[in-house]
Amino acid sequence: MTKKASMSDRFGPFREQLQAAVEAFAGGTAPREARVAGEQDREASRRSAIAATFQAMADDVARAAAEPLELFPVCHHSPSSGLHLRKRLGERPFKVIFLEAAEGLEASLNTGGEFGENLRECQFPIALQAFSVGSSAFPSAWTPLNVVYPLTEFSAEYQAIAYAMAHPETKLVFVDRAVDYIYQWMPKEDDALKERLADEPIDDGDPTTPDATEAPTVSHGTALGLQVGDLLPTFDEFHEFLLKNARVKHFSEWWDQYVESATLTADYATYRQVMFLIGSMLRRFGRRDEDIAQDRQRERYMWTKMKGFLAEHGIDPEDAIHVCGAAHTASDVEEFGVASPVLWEVPPRTETTWLYGVIPSSHLAIEHQFRHPPGSLRLAEKLWKKALTAHNLKPFTIEKRPKSDEKKRVARAAGGAAKSAADTAEPAIFDYLATSPAPLGTDDDELVRWCIEITTLARNNGYLTSTADAIAIFQTSKLLAGVRNRAFPTPYDFTDAAITCLEKDRTPKKRDIRRLCQIMLGGDRIGQVGYASLPPLAQDVYDRLKPLEGRGFTLENKRTQRALLDFKAAPELHACSQVLWMLHYLNRSTCVPIMGERTLGSTPVQESWEVYFTRTQAPIIQLGYEGISLEHVIEKRLKAAAFASSATTVAALSAVEDAILYLRSPRLVAELGEHAIVLLEASTSAAEAPQVFERIRRLVHYYRAQPTGLPAWIKRFVTTGYSHYATLLPASIQDEMTAATDVAAMLSFLFTLESLALAFGAQRSQLLIAVKQAGGAEDLAPTKVALLWSAEWLLGLRKIEDIRAFLDAVLDNPMMLPAFPDYVAGFLLALGFTPLVARVVVELLSKAFARLPDDVLLPWLPSLIMALRPLAGDLVPTLLKEVSVVFPASLAALDGWSPPWDAAPVPVAPPVETKSADANVSEETQRIRAFLAANGAVSEAVAALLGCPAVASPRESPGPETDARPPEASNGALAELLQRYPATLEAVASGSA
Amino acid sequence: MAAKKTEIKEAEATTEAGEALRLPAETKYAEELRWLASVDTSPRPFRWRLSPRMARIFVLGSSPSDKLDRTISQKFYGDPALVERALVTLASDRGLLLIGDPGTGKSWLAELLAAAICSNSTHVVQGTAGTTEDQLKYSWNVAMVISAGQSKESLIPSPIMTAMTRGEIGRIEELTRCTSDVQDALISILSEKYVNIPELKSDGVVFARPGFNIIATANSRDRGVNDLSTALKRRFNFVTIPTVTNKKTEKEIVLFRTQELLARNAFQVDLPPALLDILLQTFSDLRDAQGAATSDDARLESSLSTAEQIGVLEDAVLHSQFFGNAALQSEQLASSLIGTLVRRVPEDVAVMNKVWHSVIQKRGEQSKDKGPWEDFVKGGKKTLETFK
Repeated sequence: MTKKASMSDRFGPFREQLQAAVEAFAGGTAPREARVAGEQDREASRRSAIAATFQAMADDVARAAAEPLELFPVCHHSPSSGLHLRKRLGERPFKVIFLEAAEGLEASLNTGGEFGENLRECQFPIALQAFSVGSSAFPSAWTPLNVVYPLTEFSAEYQAIAYAMAHPETKLVFVDRAVDYIYQWMPKEDDALKERLADEPIDDGDPTTPDATEAPTVSHGTALGLQVGDLLPTFDEFHEFLLKNARVKHFSEWWDQYVESATLTADYATYRQVMFLIGSMLRRFGRRDEDIAQDRQRERYMWTKMKGFLAEHGIDPEDAIHVCGAAHTASDVEEFGVASPVLWEVPPRTETTWLYGVIPSSHLAIEHQFRHPPGSLRLAEKLWKKALTAHNLKPFTIEKRPKSDEKKRVARAAGGAAKSAADTAEPAIFDYLATSPAPLGTDDDELVRWCIEITTLARNNGYLTSTADAIAIFQTSKLLAGVRNRAFPTPYDFTDAAITCLEKDRTPKKRDIRRLCQIMLGGDRIGQVGYASLPPLAQDVYDRLKPLEGRGFTLENKRTQRALLDFKAAPELHACSQVLWMLHYLNRSTCVPIMGERTLGSTPVQESWEVYFTRTQAPIIQLGYEGISLEHVIEKRLKAAAFASSATTVAALSAVEDAILYLRSPRLVAELGEHAIVLLEASTSAAEAPQVFERIRRLVHYYRAQPTGLPAWIKRFVTTGYSHYATLLPASIQDEMTAATDVAAMLSFLFTLESLALAFGAQRSQLLIAVKQAGGAEDLAPTKVALLWSAEWLLGLRKIEDIRAFLDAVLDNPMMLPAFPDYVAGFLLALGFTPLVARVVVELLSKAFARLPDDVLLPWLPSLIMALRPLAGDLVPTLLKEVSVVFPASLAALDGWSPPWDAAPVPVAPPVETKSADANVSEETQRIRAFLAANGAVSEAVAALLGCPAVASPRESPGPETDARPPEASNGALAELLQRYPATLEAVASGSA
Repeated sequence: MAAKKTEIKEAEATTEAGEALRLPAETKYAEELRWLASVDTSPRPFRWRLSPRMARIFVLGSSPSDKLDRTISQKFYGDPALVERALVTLASDRGLLLIGDPGTGKSWLAELLAAAICSNSTHVVQGTAGTTEDQLKYSWNVAMVISAGQSKESLIPSPIMTAMTRGEIGRIEELTRCTSDVQDALISILSEKYVNIPELKSDGVVFARPGFNIIATANSRDRGVNDLSTALKRRFNFVTIPTVTNKKTEKEIVLFRTQELLARNAFQVDLPPALLDILLQTFSDLRDAQGAATSDDARLESSLSTAEQIGVLEDAVLHSQFFGNAALQSEQLASSLIGTLVRRVPEDVAVMNKVWHSVIQKRGEQSKDKGPWEDFVKGGKKTLETFK
């Protein structure tokens, strides 16, 4: 007889027992009295189907047990799996351990080619990470691609890694599909990835998730989680049925009750058989079809890789062990087993570049990622420690790197080549099915301790609790366990009992009893990645923040810390501040400034920071994938933002500003600035004008205050902008789609930066032509008309009297009256580029309030207030100043007061035609002017004699902003002087004649 | 008044099953209770008729793992842990206070628990603003007192006192509607487990027999009206019953209760599953809108509980039976839904109008099963128009 046949004989009693279970099961599904003759056929077929399934399960167990390549079935983060692997590896050395972990992830373990070195400085739990900033092979909505594989100390995978590190002769090979395939095998839809991420907290109807108000904790972010031996049933009906029958709330609880505690005390053979059976059951009943299809793909991959490795290295399958999820041992793929010659043709990978590293993890993060109930990992850890004590075992551990050069290896577990237990032991699964599991260590003392502790903790959290409550909780826990068919209360029963006895109608403070129970039963455990295992960027951050140490700040401290930087006392802290600002800029979850700001031109005196990254290192480590230093990453990101195909001028200017603030690199600033110019020239609308103007004005102000002065790019930007906006102006004014605010911003750019632009080579004539062009348009919106006239007035193309007369006509014409507020709105916008219109605005507002009928005035008021609000900081003071000049200061003066605009003569009525300045004066005057212009020295000399400063001709120096004032205003002093001494002028004139 | 009510209930219980409008749980499920007691081998606390394990099965229904020879139907739909906690509380020396929104099934659970534990769920005191201490403890038959003086014979025990003397479960409905002094009368009953009757010269103390406990219910919407004192809170374990939002469970409950109703009225009305889905979906949408509302005016007054859904369905079924063609129609369902949920005019009408046009109508347009949805939307609009 073959080996297989003898195997099936050994499992004979087991099969019989399963057959009995089939009988009982088929009989128990319907009430006996309800069974009628017609149903018997159906029941017979049902029974045979169940019998076949059970038979297949028995076959699965026998086949997996007989496989020459030793299969080691595990469940995720199961102490029992860890313990048995620890025992097995101690008993029998293997040449190779195949681990169900993504191929390629082992790169994250190694430093300098030495296996596992990266883990030596780490505090567990940590997670191995594969990261890719992006790839053309996958939808862009998926980026960045991020995969984590958490490791806890009590898991089988940790034991395997620790063993392999201590025994260099044993190879550890990750054989599951590489991370690239995970994404490759996903439907290429934007939402496909989102569905697989653990972004939603566990929804079990209880507020069990820790509250968000607590300090930021370690999280895997939007990473895709991988774990060895994921057995959680995905077929909802089965899952529900399982939990309902076992009277538990979560799968983990079921696992603890029925598998974990039973296998923890079992021998190796029983452990394997039980796990094979459970794996087979969950595989057959608990998985959805689509999940099984994916499982098959993975199993093909794993078996192909394993057989390939064995053949390549000439290793006997009996010298190898495969640590994999229990469900995979019941695989039905052709490639299963070393006896099968079938190999799968592995598809090629995409060209995605993957980076590997280690990030810290935490129990809460793992529970959240894989939807385990909160606290389950901490309970598993407790069980692990208990089991180790009970078995008097020392686990394999990854030791810290020895300080001396000579590397001390981890304690090697003693043990010669014991014979495979699986081969010799009788099928012990029989006992497992026959007797109920005996949980490990059921002591009342612990329960009593819990009861007392939770009472105290509840009291500290505002609950009114006493010893009587502790007694009640104890009693209730026992009763609950009884109702739920349990020999001894589990931590879950205890939690329910505590809630029953202590939770009243409201939670007095932040935490409720469920949360307090979680805290009491363990809370969270946060891992940490050691300095040596950090990527260069993170190490650099730690190095540069060294000066902070000794000032109440510790880099190794895992709590959230406050760093106080006093630059007067310690100027060297400026460098630390720079690092913190860069970190804050790159990822806000690393640190937050409590006091202090970084804006253009500000010089800090003191800063105060809340620093989280010592607690949550993952963001910093992830930054390490993007570059070798913070500056490098920022530069890459800024360039990416500014040079993106969809980038706008504002984005580029924003990048410029960030580059000044965080990098202080004139080279990069110039590069980004030049690109901003290119983008500005390419833009065809005025839509961004307000932001562009605001940003460039800020930059000009900043650079003016710098000793180096304005850089070349900014000069070019201003002149280009001047010319660009002058070109766009006529079209924008005429275009109905362009908002008046955008036109106002363009005009602001043109007039405010005019002096600068003209100084660097721009031509004012371009603006004059553009404004004249714009003025030719018809049917303009009143707001834009007001803006245009303000500009014309500034340029001397229109007189204020004409504007006034027109607006008076508007007020007198009932048909045009409703448009009056729009004109005022336009002038208000014009305040942004010339404070000179302030007087006009005051006049118009006064007239509006005096003359507008209520039905026009009242609906307009809210929008007037809204229009004035953004001007509150800068321009309303100007308006008020103007008001105080125009209106009488005292009540008494009001009687005799008349508005200055009423006193002024009203010359001509609209429509206004711009005449050339020369047309209004007599020939004689023209001759005088021509003479004076030709002999400028004479008039300068006369002016000097009269004690007036020399007035430069506008044509020679198209000067700064003040020159843009209308002639009446700028020449007011001279005109007054000449009026007072007419004789002088006459003398000069007669002299010239 | 409450005592009178109990008497009436007891009278009801003893009436022929066919004659009572609504039978208490212990009478209705008497056969199941008897059978469960006969197969119950687990230890029973005090004088309980069923062990907690069997009581759990009675309330939550049996599953194959219970290895019973017959099926026990599920009577309460909700988190099993909640029922377990309630049961163990009653086995301890603390009272049980069930808290929840109106219509979440508190009283029903209380009745089932009492029926399972002592086969008598009728020791009920209804808490109101007018409930007095006498109704919790005892009062006197005035005529007898005048003729023969105060004696045990002239004493009228309250339902709670009756439960004490029999070692059964006493029930207090809407505990938080009672004033604080009445509530505090419970403190000594719950901790000392006896009632002192000073008027009787000798033998003036009534002791509770083992098995006595109290199930009280409180409405979470009444929170703050008459808050429980700290002393009383300590003597109660609180079990909060959440509003069911899981559609599957909700469907089970609605079907269960509606079938019960149909059976009680002994008539047949077709209940198309599509209409049930429409009802559940509409309630779910209304709840979402309720959650998103920022002021009370933008919320319906109704709590939108499962009981309200049953109410709507009941109304629609009765309409169909008596004024329709014995088959439930979409339009009728919409009309009943709006008629049941609109309580304040115009506030509720405005809320309903908004939800109807912005959410329900879209739901109908997107649905695969257009026919019933269209009628439903149309019927709703027609009903909304009738509100003046």
